[in-house]
Amino acid sequence: MNEPAPAERIAIRSHNDIVTARHAAREHSARLGFGRAYQTRLATAVSELTRNVIQYAGEGSCLIEEHADEDGCSIRVSVEDHGPGIPDLALALADGFSTSGGLGAGLPGTRRLVDHFQISSEPGLTRVVISIRKAR
Amino acid sequence: MTPSLSQVLKHRQDELLEHWLRDLSQTSSDGSFSSAHPELIEPLRELFYVLMTQLDQAASREISLATDQPSRLEREQQTALEPPLKQLVAEQARLQRSLSDTLGFLLYLKHLLFKALFAAADQAVEERSILWLDHCFEQIARQTFDLALAQRDRYISEQSISIMELSTPVLRLWHQILLLPLVGVIDTGRARQITDHLLEAIAKYEARVTVIDLTGVPIIDTSVAQHIMKTIDAARLLGSRVVLTGISPEGAQTLTKLGIRFGDVISRASLRAGIAEALLITGKRIAAMEASPR
Repeated sequence: MNEPAPAERIAIRSHNDIVTARHAAREHSARLGFGRAYQTRLATAVSELTRNVIQYAGEGSCLIEEHADEDGCSIRVSVEDHGPGIPDLALALADGFSTSGGLGAGLPGTRRLVDHFQISSEPGLTRVVISIRKAR
Repeated sequence: MTPSLSQVLKHRQDELLEHWLRDLSQTSSDGSFSSAHPELIEPLRELFYVLMTQLDQAASREISLATDQPSRLEREQQTALEPPLKQLVAEQARLQRSLSDTLGFLLYLKHLLFKALFAAADQAVEERSILWLDHCFEQIARQTFDLALAQRDRYISEQSISIMELSTPVLRLWHQILLLPLVGVIDTGRARQITDHLLEAIAKYEARVTVIDLTGVPIIDTSVAQHIMKTIDAARLLGSRVVLTGISPEGAQTLTKLGIRFGDVISRASLRAGIAEALLITGKRIAAMEASPR
């Protein structure tokens, strides 16, 4: 197993940054020895969250951190933006709800893809923290 | 401007050029550049002459850094230097040489000029002519850097256009069967283009089945899924059934976790199984050749 790499912060300003961020997420998880299914799930989750940033807030950032201890290792991704915020979190987390004509699967789906999911939102700061974990 | 600089430029020009090009043909001892590719010599020679003309003109006009509108002068110098620098940078990119080598060549010329200047000066070299020469080369280095970056940006945008054009072929697999292999990132712009191409081809070939192969799509998230669904719906309206192929095991797992359902779309793990399915729908099959009768 590799030692944790330093945290990586990726500015999310355009559609290209979505690709950069999910690619980075996949690389970090591959480096820590997560299987392909886990890598794909994390990359897809990052793709969803960063796409939301572009779509609803215009720009934001994505921070990828690796952690390792005696019990195992984990990757934490924090996606932040300073957009208008989500007025009704419960509704946004319900399947099939979308304000933009999408499938309404992004947030609830992302929550099912990862081991840990935490969201907070107010006007001016929306932060979603997700992580996947693997026992040693 | 000290007379020595213009004298040096006038009388020792050929010698300087020869010295410069000779030294560029091998890797510098301090590692600031590796040997210049033979095809770079011509652009370098051209640049040298333009640069000397510029320096000479400036020297004859007795321009000093502080007084004589350096900005206007810089613009003139930049305009004159742009064509040879551009050519040099383009050659360097074509030969896949590094920009730092090119900068190394230019700064080495500065070094030679200084050396010649000091060697020729009878009395102490004037401070402002040193400053001025230094400033000139700083400008040139900056300009070279900008040109190289512009060149690279142009390459990148050209490449993304050609990738965009290349990556959405609609292939006629068999009579009434089309194949759409999707490769790479599917954003809204590409999705629209893909749908356009496909619908046109379906109408043209009266396709009854379209095989959409997703093997080359790295991530299928909700946005990509939605684009694919819309393409499928539009194809159906034109009377073509769709067979999806090439979703990886982890991709399938991710899609179900996300809660995306492709409903009643036919899906097969491999392109091979998808083609078999498409043939079946159109009432055809691939069979071994019978032994030909004598």
